[in-house]
Amino acid sequence: MKTRILIRRNLIWFRRTNLAVILGVAAAVAVLCGALMVGDSVRRSLSELVLGRIGRTDLVITANTLFRDQLMDDLRRRPGFAATFVDGVPMLALQGVASRDETGARAGDVQVYGVDGRFWKFHGLDIEGPSGSEALISPGLAEELGAAAGEMLAVRIELPTAIPIESLHGRRDEAGRTIRLTVREILPPSLLGEFSLQPRQGIVRAVFIPLEKLQRNIDLDLPRDGRVNIILLATQPGVTAAREVANELLRETVTLDDQGIRIREVESNSRVGEEVVAVETESAIIGGALADSIELTANRAGLQSDRILSYLANSIRVDDREVPYSLVTAVEPGQLPQLVSIQGDQRPPLVLNEWAARDLGARLGQDVTLEYYVWADEGRLSTASATFRLAGVIPITGLAADRQLAPEYPGITGAESLSDWDPPFPIDLRRVRKVDEDYWDRYRATPKAFLLLADAQPLWSTRYGALTSIRLASRSLDRLGLATELRQQIGPAQSGFTATPVRMEGAAAAKGATDFGAYFSYFSFFLVVSALLLVVLFFRLGIEQRIREIGLYLALGFQIATIRAIFLYEGALLALAGAGLGLGGAILFAGLMMLGLRTWWIGAVGTRLLRLHIEPLTLVIGGLSGVLAALVCIWWTVRSTSMASPRRQLAGQFSSQPRRGSGVTFGNRRQIRLLVALTLLLLALVLVTLAIRQTLMPVAAFFGAGTLLLVSLLILWSWWLRVDRQSVVRKGWSGLFALGIRQATTQPGRSILSMALIAAATFIIVSVESFRRTEVVPTSNPRSGTGGFLLVAESLLPLADNLNLPEGREALNLQESELPELNSLRVTRFRVRNGDDASCLNLYQPVQPRILGLPAEFIAANRFNFHSMIEPVTNPWELLNRNSTVVPIIVDANSMNYVLHRQLGEVFQITAASGQAVPVQIVATLADSLLQSELLMAESHFIRLFPREDGYRWFGLELPISAGTDPDKIAAILEDRLSDFGFDATSASRKLAAFHVVENTYLSTFQSIGSLGLLLGTIGLGAVLLRNVLERRHELALLTAIGFGSIHLTVMIIAENLLLLTGGLLTGTLSAFIAIIPALLERGSLSSLGSLGLLLLLVLATGLLASLFALRVLLRMPVLESLRSES
Amino acid sequence: MLQILHVSKEYSTARGVLPILDDINLTLDRGAAVAIMGPSGSGKSTLLYLLGGLEPPTSGTIMLGSENPYAMTAADLASFRNRQIGFVFQDHHLLPQCTVLENVLIPTIVAPPSKTDFAARAKSLLERVGLGARIDHRPSELSGGEKQRVALARALVTEPQLLLCDEPTGNLDQDSAGLVAELLLELHEQHQTILVVVTHSDELAARFPLRYRMLNRQLREL
Repeated sequence: MKTRILIRRNLIWFRRTNLAVILGVAAAVAVLCGALMVGDSVRRSLSELVLGRIGRTDLVITANTLFRDQLMDDLRRRPGFAATFVDGVPMLALQGVASRDETGARAGDVQVYGVDGRFWKFHGLDIEGPSGSEALISPGLAEELGAAAGEMLAVRIELPTAIPIESLHGRRDEAGRTIRLTVREILPPSLLGEFSLQPRQGIVRAVFIPLEKLQRNIDLDLPRDGRVNIILLATQPGVTAAREVANELLRETVTLDDQGIRIREVESNSRVGEEVVAVETESAIIGGALADSIELTANRAGLQSDRILSYLANSIRVDDREVPYSLVTAVEPGQLPQLVSIQGDQRPPLVLNEWAARDLGARLGQDVTLEYYVWADEGRLSTASATFRLAGVIPITGLAADRQLAPEYPGITGAESLSDWDPPFPIDLRRVRKVDEDYWDRYRATPKAFLLLADAQPLWSTRYGALTSIRLASRSLDRLGLATELRQQIGPAQSGFTATPVRMEGAAAAKGATDFGAYFSYFSFFLVVSALLLVVLFFRLGIEQRIREIGLYLALGFQIATIRAIFLYEGALLALAGAGLGLGGAILFAGLMMLGLRTWWIGAVGTRLLRLHIEPLTLVIGGLSGVLAALVCIWWTVRSTSMASPRRQLAGQFSSQPRRGSGVTFGNRRQIRLLVALTLLLLALVLVTLAIRQTLMPVAAFFGAGTLLLVSLLILWSWWLRVDRQSVVRKGWSGLFALGIRQATTQPGRSILSMALIAAATFIIVSVESFRRTEVVPTSNPRSGTGGFLLVAESLLPLADNLNLPEGREALNLQESELPELNSLRVTRFRVRNGDDASCLNLYQPVQPRILGLPAEFIAANRFNFHSMIEPVTNPWELLNRNSTVVPIIVDANSMNYVLHRQLGEVFQITAASGQAVPVQIVATLADSLLQSELLMAESHFIRLFPREDGYRWFGLELPISAGTDPDKIAAILEDRLSDFGFDATSASRKLAAFHVVENTYLSTFQSIGSLGLLLGTIGLGAVLLRNVLERRHELALLTAIGFGSIHLTVMIIAENLLLLTGGLLTGTLSAFIAIIPALLERGSLSSLGSLGLLLLLVLATGLLASLFALRVLLRMPVLESLRSES
Repeated sequence: MLQILHVSKEYSTARGVLPILDDINLTLDRGAAVAIMGPSGSGKSTLLYLLGGLEPPTSGTIMLGSENPYAMTAADLASFRNRQIGFVFQDHHLLPQCTVLENVLIPTIVAPPSKTDFAARAKSLLERVGLGARIDHRPSELSGGEKQRVALARALVTEPQLLLCDEPTGNLDQDSAGLVAELLLELHEQHQTILVVVTHSDELAARFPLRYRMLNRQLREL
């Protein structure tokens, strides 16, 4: 006789119990492995999605300026390019809004790509690109607009401009352009119809138009000025440092022209015998860093540098005489000897040219007042003035005759006459006299007045810069050498030239902001535990069934270790079989979950593109983990068996005496249970307290405290079930009930296991339901989740004009007659740095989250409700105003915890517009707000980090809410009037509700896991009741024989079931309520007591079903046979 | 030789200590056969389990030959039971999943390495108890008496020094009980074991040269 034969015999003989164990292990493996597979599948799907959408692109070169199309060819010619890169292609990528005039259908967030044949060739696609006015569009856009091939499409794009719109010369009135196109084809994803460089799981709205057409529409002078803003690069296989190589190649290749910097030869310079050039930019402003680079280069090359700031004065006034619209130039001391201050005279010096002095009749020492426009922070041009002392009058020769002191201002410097001026600011041509036209005819933009740079810069410098040009002079100027030196000194990074490894970042982002595998594992944890409890339960029942066999083995001289080994070996085989079955179940489970995410729970993921992916490694890990967990459970069960005395086992008794010599008695074992239970309870309360104080991650606290509470309460039940009870012999139903309950106490281990199953399921169901968000109602309460805003809006093009001011509304063509509410409408404007959505709407891990710049008025208003802050302050928004090298930011608590995976007070880095990494610190978090998609930063910091993010693109609209207020109507009118800006308004409560939908859908997903747990619990409960009935068949038969009716026996069974069921329900509910206290404190109250009550009733009803199995067996039991039957 | 010296046994229960045996003394030589009688709950089965190394005495010493089982480690004690003790219970405790032959061979699974051909011995014992033709049958196919004969063969397969029987005929009809008793004594005689039988049956006890009664936690010779 061999052990293996015995084991084989055992496995076959006890096949029904063994099958139950196998099914239990299978359930555990299926759930555990399935949860991991869900994570894998989401990650792989996201990865495939992002990698499929970028085609062959590995790296993307971008810059803050438009650069030469030719740059790609220059890069390709560089030695070292071919070793790292296969190819590259330049293109234009702009944001836009698409619409169909026929239907009025409109789609925002459209990617407008200007491409030519090189694009398709680069991606290895043999398709004919669009030509003329043709457009190829993505399926998502076609569906949203209801557009088909041959139909017309209007695409509104933002015009890339070098001149900031929040400056005097910025063209706010022409921020965008509408292009009319004909849809030639709807391009499927396989042909890159969904080309997108930004990881996103939602639909891609893309329009492909001919590169040349797009270039012409953004006012480029072709072919000389063929410009692009993106280069796609494909790397050679196996190359790892492609980004560094690309940046090095850019450093060698990018020209000053690519960076919007030009060196202009100064024709009429005042420096005798010297050659002079002016370094200027396309934006007509030189920033501080660029100025430093230019001057450093000049110093190194031994060149004389002169800094210049020219500005347009609306008038130069002396007494009651004025000269309108004149250019004035600020120069450095020494440039004009007359520009000297007089001690005791506060007025700064100013020099007029002879023409102006004559026209104004000005005398030396007189006040000269300059009036000029400045861009005010509130979003409008305002007129300011400054008074100077006339320090000199100079002839229009030398420097004073230099027409090139002012940079090229579109609409001004190129005009034939003053009346032809077309500036982006209001001018009153009635003020222009004939003499002014004559001056223009003769001298053009030659400045009429000069002042010192130090006096001018406080008046006219902006965040973009304080100079308009820098002149470099030398007797023998090597222009080519200067350009090379300047290029090297400035470097491409200063213009934002950077190579981004989009494939690598996309793959990293695809790991997901929301780790579905982790969340499913967390919530499945209790389901896995339930399945393992079932394993324990069935294995224990199996052992109990074989308890005499164990006694026999002991009597025959088997060592306990040998018996354990036999059972463990059997258990291992069962676990392996269960794991094999479970792996199939895992695929089914994960497949169902993925189907659910694509259909019923699409609200959580927002895409139907998630597919099941089966990773062999996950199967191995999941399977082995399941086997291991099952083996531990089996080992524990077997080990507990060894405690029993052989004699009791031979008598068929499972419960054990205290171990000899352990010093443990019945009484103190109960006391130990009580002590352990109370200790665990205390630990759970500590975790909850830590979570309330926000020193522990809420997820960790919830699951940690939940587990501890469940275990501690179950141990308390175990303690209670072992209490020595008084006689149950009472007359009537109460006696029957007591007899039923007494039965549950005779096998406390079994009872606790079934209670644990119900408790685990109840815990998930109750806690998940308690997290459910309720409907959001519009409110003007500024401390609510909507911040008191009725509407929130975003615009494609930045709005520089202020909607709160009459002139702003007028500039935007908003008539109060059409929208009377405009009078009481209050708009809070936010600056936006586009980036990755930091909310739960984005499944990808945000790499560069979107940032909002909050104006001072918003900070002072103390809107929204806070979840936490690094220190207690009355208005946490004011923490954002702190000045430090670490920029303070505020984020929504949900985004911080579940998407960004950061903590309060944590410092991390973001990338500023300059390309530099800037540390930011989370100083406070918002509770359940609509500001979940972005990092929130004070406008002052925002402007410093992102100076070229002009205007405002995000708006909070406040309006007193009355009975007649219709947010949708107001939104529709605003969207219509501001359609040129791509204005998209939505109800604030709807926006917040959209986040809640995601949250609630996640909860529904997890609720389904709870339901599975309930199913397992019911099976376990049924098995225990059934086993109890079978074990008591003699007793029950006897009761029948002495006159108990079936109703009496039913009451007994139901009493036992009710005890186990309510025990489990109470344990699960209480544990859930305590574990969610931190969340309840944050939200104020339970979301839906009614639905929670209904769910508990459902659990109770389902659990009672378990009695049916036992009752059925009981009622069919033949009385006499049971009485006669032997063991 | 089996020596029982001042052996007492008590159980701790939820309601306090429950004494079962009090200062039991008995010495049996090889080949001795003893029947112990007594009312239910008198402790006779407890004594049997103490002798079989299944439950330790609260005090006192039990020696089989030169071996004190309760001074052994758990592993040695198990081995001792396997080598030295044979058990026959009132309830046969056959494994339903195994055949008759396999049931007899169960103790050999953990028997120390030996040149003994246990399978041949098992078959021989089964022949001896009249079940040579039923070796491939399952216990469910046997009568109560046949099952008990299989249990007897199993108890002797490792050639123990001490054969302990707890009501071996308690569940059997008169004919079967007689046959089992006869076989028991025959095999005892043949194997020269020390045989201790606990029984209510006067008829069975009458077959034994030595008879004791358990009364008031003490063993009294009849």
